[in-house]
Amino acid sequence: MAWLNPKAMFDRDAWLEVAHNVLAHPLRTTLTGVSVALGIFILVVMQGLGYGLQHGVEGQFADDAVNSISVEGGRTQIAYRGNQSNRPVRLTNEDLPGIASQADTIPAFSRRIRLWGAEIVWENPEGENKGGSFGVRGVDPAHIELEPSVLLSGRYINERDVSDSRKVAVVGPNIVRDLFGKTDPIGAFIRINAVLFQVVGTFEDPGSRWENRVAYIPFSTAQQLYRTEGWVDQIFYSTGDMETEATVAQSGRMLSWLKDVKAVHPEDSRGVRVDNNNEEYAMYASIFEGIRLFIWGIGLMTLLAGAVGVANILAIGVKERTKEIGVRKALGATNGSIVSLVVMESTVLMLVSGSLGLMLAVGLLSVVAPMADHEYFQNPQVDHRIALFALGVLVLTGLASGLGPALRAVAIRPVEALRDE
Amino acid sequence: MIELQSITKSYTTGSQSLQVLKGVDMQVSAGELVAIMGSSGSGKSTLLNILGLLDAYDGGLYHLDGKDMAGLSERRAAELRREMLGFVFQSFNLIPFKSAAENVALPLYYQKVPRKERARRSHALLERVGLLEWADHLPSQMSGGQKQRVAIARALAASPRVILADEPTGALDSATSEDVMALLKELNGEGMTMVVVTHEAEIAAACGRTIRLRDGLVESQGHV
Repeated sequence: MAWLNPKAMFDRDAWLEVAHNVLAHPLRTTLTGVSVALGIFILVVMQGLGYGLQHGVEGQFADDAVNSISVEGGRTQIAYRGNQSNRPVRLTNEDLPGIASQADTIPAFSRRIRLWGAEIVWENPEGENKGGSFGVRGVDPAHIELEPSVLLSGRYINERDVSDSRKVAVVGPNIVRDLFGKTDPIGAFIRINAVLFQVVGTFEDPGSRWENRVAYIPFSTAQQLYRTEGWVDQIFYSTGDMETEATVAQSGRMLSWLKDVKAVHPEDSRGVRVDNNNEEYAMYASIFEGIRLFIWGIGLMTLLAGAVGVANILAIGVKERTKEIGVRKALGATNGSIVSLVVMESTVLMLVSGSLGLMLAVGLLSVVAPMADHEYFQNPQVDHRIALFALGVLVLTGLASGLGPALRAVAIRPVEALRDE
Repeated sequence: MIELQSITKSYTTGSQSLQVLKGVDMQVSAGELVAIMGSSGSGKSTLLNILGLLDAYDGGLYHLDGKDMAGLSERRAAELRREMLGFVFQSFNLIPFKSAAENVALPLYYQKVPRKERARRSHALLERVGLLEWADHLPSQMSGGQKQRVAIARALAASPRVILADEPTGALDSATSEDVMALLKELNGEGMTMVVVTHEAEIAAACGRTIRLRDGLVESQGHV
């Protein structure tokens, strides 16, 4: 094809001519530039916000392992099998073998005792009492995977702690901060509701602020100290890599079995609770998928509107220049040099303004990102592939929309183009 | 320099075909200043466009500087326009967003003359037409006569063999017209071959010879 003029790509004069023509039409350049920049800007910012939303939703699930199921008792609402309504339902040690048999496989399993407000005090070497009100949990060793927690120093609750009902504690960062300050807490003795425990480890939980205010102690110790008749507050177990549907079936079986065992009416939703994080996560994931599609849709529409606007402006621009093109031909320009001039102009325009929009969007997101710390909105970010894709689309649009009118314009005989009438 | 034999040209608009040139014979020798006259519709503009290789002809022979112009490729026609021909138009056709000097330098750009040399030559040409101090002005800041002199400087830039002028004074008042014709005659005096299309008798009278067109045929050639 004659109009493909590779030499022009490396010709300094040709680029100077392009720059001159672009700068000589400030209105056209601004209009085109703004629509391109805006298209890219909106697309990238929308995508960034979409990611922020995604990270926020995912952050909500970072608290508990997404493949976990929790089982706990509640209070009945419906009288059933000779029992009054409003009866508290307790899980006990006797229920555990049955619960275990209802789950197909249990890679990680932990019982839990929960104390909401316990007085935890440490007497420092100066003889001062440092303390506060914190949460206490009696747990099994596998609890570290189920929560999940990150061990910072020392060790977690182990099997011996549970079998021997040792008085040891693994404390969260808020307790370390409030009680110990800069002192190393490992080995220190603290009082939990006046009972002496030795600190054996520290942890943090990136997914939950509440868990960072908690001390973990062996389940057996907690049950002996704070619960009677073998009560268990909660059972917490993981489903490994089971498919979501299989876990839903499993938690469903677990629920109906437990209702039967605990004499809870099948329609009673408060008597016992089986919460399947798999199911909730899958539901949120699908909601999020919808949001993402929606954002993509808006982004693509914006891009399309930008591209149409650009094509329109360029087409009008070339039409306006029919006479100029005729003059250039009369002065000895080949069709090829004219088409490559027009196409280079539109491409340069696209690239420069597109990059500008991109930089603005990236700049905005990087300014907003540190400020965005809402529960459901965290860490918006730019997807570079999407940004480059959008830029590519606009450049191709620029090429195509410059090329068509330019080819038509050079096909007009200069005679007609230059005629005044 | 220019030799035409039985040149024909027709335009087709829709289903109608209009025979504009019906067999034009004419010669222009090197160094001549020739006027082509005719009423509107006589085919004079079409003839000039064919002479200028801006339009193709249907039949006949066209020799420019001894070379046959039949079946030129678009690229070759552009090359010949670039090297052999200079154009002056009625409405000047300066590029509005380029300064006088840049307009004059444009043919040199297409001849791949280096940038500095282009600037040097365009300024020399503007000096030649008496507009050096207007070099950096845009066409919109100049009068009609000034614009036409810039256009003539531009036509001269590529050192053509022939200058083709289409109603060069058509948009000018009579005093300015005289100035422009004086400039063209002066260039002719230096040996430039020129063909001027006009419908004004005074302009034709200022030329060395007049070729009259009527209904697509040469009515008279003047004294060759």
